Amino acid sequence: MVNQLLNDDIVRQVKEVFDKQLTKPVEILFFGSQDDCEHCEDTRQLVEEVTAISDKLHLSLYDLADDAEMAQQYHVTMTPGLVITAQEENGNIDYGIRYAGIPSGYEFSSLIQDLILVSGRDSGLAPETRAALAELKQPVLLQVFVTPT
Amino acid sequence: MVLAHQLAMESPLVQAEMIEATEFPELSNRHHVSGVPQTTINDGAGSVVGAYPEDQLLQEIQEALH
Repeated sequence: MVNQLLNDDIVRQVKEVFDKQLTKPVEILFFGSQDDCEHCEDTRQLVEEVTAISDKLHLSLYDLADDAEMAQQYHVTMTPGLVITAQEENGNIDYGIRYAGIPSGYEFSSLIQDLILVSGRDSGLAPETRAALAELKQPVLLQVFVTPT
Repeated sequence: MVLAHQLAMESPLVQAEMIEATEFPELSNRHHVSGVPQTTINDGAGSVVGAYPEDQLLQEIQEALH
């Protein structure tokens, strides 16, 4: 029997938030790897536990090598890798939201917030920010380095 | 972290990735990560350390593109 990563208190709190705030379905794509991936198992277990909390959340498991085409489509090159997508009847919407490495500690709440945002299909940004982003002409890649705390 | 993901969500041209620095030391070293969170823009065209408010991060992105 594998120990739960999320204790009952956390699950209860997250469930309360999810019940109130999740509206539309979200799918997490998990990419693992069979070689040299210290945190793949933990990360997979974490997203399994999180997606089990609400029926609005879904999870698909992929392997970076075996599912190379999917990995390429979603720009995943590192494992464990997560992509948070909006699940629609005619396919998933990829907003370009990814994680490389386990979202633990402070970043666990980022994951929860991401799921709520994607479920709502709205970025929640200020009107001025939205207007400025609409003017973008070239691709932007933001890589946010964090440490587990 | 969530702000970068919000920007990605809003614009089809923006992609945002959280990277757990200790799991990917080579990439972190290449981008000279010393403090976190560090946001690297377009592979080093710009870089900011700390939590930035929406308008300031946007400004940094715009500057990095010039």
